[in-house]
Amino acid sequence: MSRILALVCAAALVASPLRGQDSLMVRLRTRADSLLSTWREAQRLADVADSLERVRATAGSDTIAVGALRIIANPSPLPLREAAARAWPAIDSLYGSAAEDLVQHPYIIRAVDPDSGVRRAVLHVGVELPWDLDMRATTRVLLTTVTPPRFDIGLGDWLGATLRPTLRPGDEQTAVYLQLVTVPSAAVRGCFLGDIARCKDVLQLGDSTGLLGRWYVTPAEREALVSGVFGDYFARGGTAPSLQKCRQHRDDACTALLQSLPPGSLPRLLATAARLSLVREALRAGGQEAYSRLVAHPEASIDTRLASAAAMDIDSLVARWRNGVLAARPVSLALPWWAGIAAIGWTAFFGFCALRSSRWRL
Amino acid sequence: MTDAIHIERLQYRVGNAFEIKDLDLHVPAGSIYGFLGPNGSGKTTTIRLVLGLLRPLGGRITVLGSPMPEHHAKVLARVGYVPEQPHLDVTLTVRELIDFQAAFYPRWDRGRAEELVERFELDGARLFGRLSKGQKAKLMILLALAQCGDLLVLDEPTDGLDPVVRRDILSALVTYVSERGATIFISSHLVHELERVCDWVAVMDDGRLITESPMEKLKHGTKRLVVSGAPAEIGTPPFRMLSRESSNGAGESWVVGDWEPAMTSYIENLGGSVHDVIDLDLEDGFVELLRSFRKVRQ
Amino acid sequence: MTAMFRAVLYTQWKWSRLIVVLGTLAAFAIPLLSLQGAARADRGALQAQDLLRSVQSWGSLYPLLATALGLLMAIAAWAPDHRGRHIHALTLPLPRWEYVLLRFGAGFVLLAAPIAAVAIGALLASLSATIPPGLQAYPIALAVRFTFAVFVAYAVFFAVSAGTARTAGIILGVIAAIILVQVVAGIANIDLNLFGAAQTVLVLGPGPLAVFTGRWMLVDV
Repeated sequence: MSRILALVCAAALVASPLRGQDSLMVRLRTRADSLLSTWREAQRLADVADSLERVRATAGSDTIAVGALRIIANPSPLPLREAAARAWPAIDSLYGSAAEDLVQHPYIIRAVDPDSGVRRAVLHVGVELPWDLDMRATTRVLLTTVTPPRFDIGLGDWLGATLRPTLRPGDEQTAVYLQLVTVPSAAVRGCFLGDIARCKDVLQLGDSTGLLGRWYVTPAEREALVSGVFGDYFARGGTAPSLQKCRQHRDDACTALLQSLPPGSLPRLLATAARLSLVREALRAGGQEAYSRLVAHPEASIDTRLASAAAMDIDSLVARWRNGVLAARPVSLALPWWAGIAAIGWTAFFGFCALRSSRWRL
Repeated sequence: MTDAIHIERLQYRVGNAFEIKDLDLHVPAGSIYGFLGPNGSGKTTTIRLVLGLLRPLGGRITVLGSPMPEHHAKVLARVGYVPEQPHLDVTLTVRELIDFQAAFYPRWDRGRAEELVERFELDGARLFGRLSKGQKAKLMILLALAQCGDLLVLDEPTDGLDPVVRRDILSALVTYVSERGATIFISSHLVHELERVCDWVAVMDDGRLITESPMEKLKHGTKRLVVSGAPAEIGTPPFRMLSRESSNGAGESWVVGDWEPAMTSYIENLGGSVHDVIDLDLEDGFVELLRSFRKVRQ
Repeated sequence: MTAMFRAVLYTQWKWSRLIVVLGTLAAFAIPLLSLQGAARADRGALQAQDLLRSVQSWGSLYPLLATALGLLMAIAAWAPDHRGRHIHALTLPLPRWEYVLLRFGAGFVLLAAPIAAVAIGALLASLSATIPPGLQAYPIALAVRFTFAVFVAYAVFFAVSAGTARTAGIILGVIAAIILVQVVAGIANIDLNLFGAAQTVLVLGPGPLAVFTGRWMLVDV
């Protein structure tokens, strides 16, 4: 009897915290639900505020339509129509048929007098531009603020930027060329020398496991990475001794340190321009529907999406991209033809001045 | 006789301090022409105008028949010049300076240059900057003579030199003239030195020419006269009155230029009498000339 | 005229031989030093950036050397004549502009040595170095640019050196006037950028200093 009573008491004692846990969970769940509903309400209010702002910002404004571009702006000297006419072909050639979606995303522009000191209401929606911008600058604004249709986060993460048109793709490829030649990486050099598999590695296409070994191939690169980029990070605490060993050319120490980094910490070998130029190449190769195919399946891997957009296998696309980059090699170092003539001319000029100095003239 | 140097109404000005005005100078070809004057009288400036180093404001200069400075290149090929201050590069050796000069003068006489190197006892390997003052002067004379020019222009070539060096230089000049018949234009304020070698002399002071005449005429024509009984006004005498002073009650002391013995009668015709005629050397005559000139200008 | 030129050349060589010798040594050494790392066997992909950095930093010495050579040779051409107040030069039997031309030309002849040294040094350096793929050596382009820079520098300083003190005074006066106007404009709050304008005229486009700007790279992309 006493044993049963003891058991019952023990059970009651154990159950009470469990009962406490139950109520904690309920409280937390209730709290979470409340926060969710508050957040949803805030979202709704923000949307309302946005739409009200949009109405306010566009009140009294004209709408300029060029292709699928819509620009809502107040009357001003700003050459918006001409700039739109210049920007539209670049936008259309990049986004193809998907550019028609841009009708849903008009530019909201408030042109202001740059010399005026009058206080203006804060603009929450759209862009404020001084109305003395020339056409080139206005076109650049339109190109750099266009909303890419159906642009997903995955593509943006991989690119490291938003895919927008450029008026000078050649400059981008030239920058990539310079990277391929100068980046201190055997993998990048391999890409430059024609190893397409290396190109895919450095462009982060395909399998993302084992990136350390594929990106930083040699012990010297790994040591340079640890000492250079992560030197301060590893200098403190328990990693300091390993850092010392790494600096003494112990590759195992260097590798261990790099493997201890959180995923995604390894710095990319090539800058954003490389991936942007690859996407542009894919869209160029794939025709009018290329962009639509690119954004059609956001859940697919990047290489699959690119291949689909370009309508060719990924290796062929990468090879094509590499050829384009090599063709964009910067102009060589030779002096322009006029520089030599100018130098000779100035030499003769100053020589003549010496001959005609008043000291020598009778 | 043609002139080696012919200057007509030469005008030149340096700021407000100094002016050469209406200078007429005629250096006969083949003569040794002494150009006398105190320091600052304009001798060096005149020489620079003759050689085309300066451009005159007015007047005409003709050297060896060609106008200067327009034909300076052609003329300077026939002119040897020794300036007052050494003007050669101190970092070149004697030999290098000779070779440099030789390249510019088509009539360069290498034999004469070698002979003068021996005669002047110059060390060919020595830097110009390390030569003594006398050796520098000798080298500059050597370069001028070896050019075999028709005219030598020497600006105080023996100034500050010891007597031995002066003698060597003057001797070389005389030899050159006798061999080539060249004209020498030599400026100096050392009167007794020019007296020995020059056959023409000009005296300059304050940018003006005081006198220009054959040396003999200047030397022998300048006299001191002891005169008594002459009137205050003596009209226009045939001689040049340089100074007239009373002489301790024993008459007057006159210093005259261009004197000839027959001119005694002019004074006697005025009622005066010449008690003594004393020869003056060139230096005394030069001093009296300057004194007289400056008194007139005042 | 040949004999005169030889005489002038000899004297100018005597006055400037130290400058020519040192300048030639420096001109020969700079390309070799700039590629000293690359003379070893390929050190892998790390080499390209290191090499470019080294070449770029050494490359800044070329325009400095060109300017120094031009300045010193111009001074050396006239210093002895300045000391003698140009009396010797002015009494030589040739048109004066010819004499100046002889001096001018002699300077160019002497400057051929450091120019050749740059060319030879650059060629040697680029032949002996292991240049990473994608990079290329430009020894001839570098030597040509150096040649033009030396010529312009020499001509500018020669003109100043051959001129009178009055000319130098005028040049300094112009510079001082520009500075004064700029200062006054700044005080008066007037938007005036004379320095920028001067820079544009001198350095950009076909200005006299344009050849000194740009990339002095023996090895580049």
